[in-house]
Amino acid sequence: MRRASSGRRSFSEGFSLLVVVTLGGCATTIPESALRLPESTLDLRSMQTRTLEAPSENDILAATIAVLQDMEFNIERIEKPLGVITASKVTDADSASEKTGLFFLDMLCALGGGGGCDAMSTAQDNQHITLTMVVLPSLSRSSEYKARITIQRVIYDKMDRIKVLERIDDAKTYQQIFDNLRKSLFIQVGEK
Amino acid sequence: MSRSLQILSLLGVLLLAGCATSPANVAGAGTQLETRQIQTREYDTLDKPMTMRSVIATLQDLGFTIDQADADLGTVTATRLHEYTMRITVTVVERDNQRISVRANARINENSVTDAATYQDFFIVLDKAMFLTLHKVD
Repeated sequence: MRRASSGRRSFSEGFSLLVVVTLGGCATTIPESALRLPESTLDLRSMQTRTLEAPSENDILAATIAVLQDMEFNIERIEKPLGVITASKVTDADSASEKTGLFFLDMLCALGGGGGCDAMSTAQDNQHITLTMVVLPSLSRSSEYKARITIQRVIYDKMDRIKVLERIDDAKTYQQIFDNLRKSLFIQVGEK
Repeated sequence: MSRSLQILSLLGVLLLAGCATSPANVAGAGTQLETRQIQTREYDTLDKPMTMRSVIATLQDLGFTIDQADADLGTVTATRLHEYTMRITVTVVERDNQRISVRANARINENSVTDAATYQDFFIVLDKAMFLTLHKVD
């Protein structure tokens, strides 16, 4: 009698556990704040945006294309009516210091007699950088435009596995691009 | 006891098999009407280009990089690489010559975003951008 009841209990416990584990494994996890504005929005927006003066939107777009070419980007797409330019480039992400560290890790692993010492294959190999530039005419002042740049990158390791997915949040990078853009715009307008 | 174990094992196999199969899932889940309602919002304006620019500004604020934009077809596709990969497509369509309908659909990694709250968050941000655009505030 007691055995039967304990059997029933372990069955119901086992069943509940199984259901919880299985549902947990199947459930799709959507982060709650996926499309909410983060607190850093204003800082990020000011880092990525500059107000430019130019005779037309076309001048800014042409100057941007020239700057992107200077920076060795390939232009992927341009949608002129919306002021959108998308560009990308693949560059080397190989780092000598990272490789030295991983080499010693492999050496230690081999000396310890462990098999499958392959830390080196996780070394960074190349990175795909995508840049979007959007020009927005000022709603209150003519001949004034807001230009906003966003940059992201994916770093792959030696085995072509994705190692890092990130947005570039470095203020200096944006400052450098906008400095170049101002010079390019000056030349662009002066040449006309 | 052994019978209980048998039932448990059978259930386990059935449930795990449910997870393991990978159907092509081309048509997606959920009813068409329900999905459209969750993903769509209408605005009392007829300015399609400015609506599209507001959509693009909103996506940039949310940390997306614009992959593709088409003013004629009213489509914007964007990607955000941050902890996970999120892709979103937003379409802007004129309705009955009276208003503009904006529809967004998003995916995170290999899952589609189906919860209404996430789309509501997107439209809260877009509402603000649309308000500023309609009142000509930079």
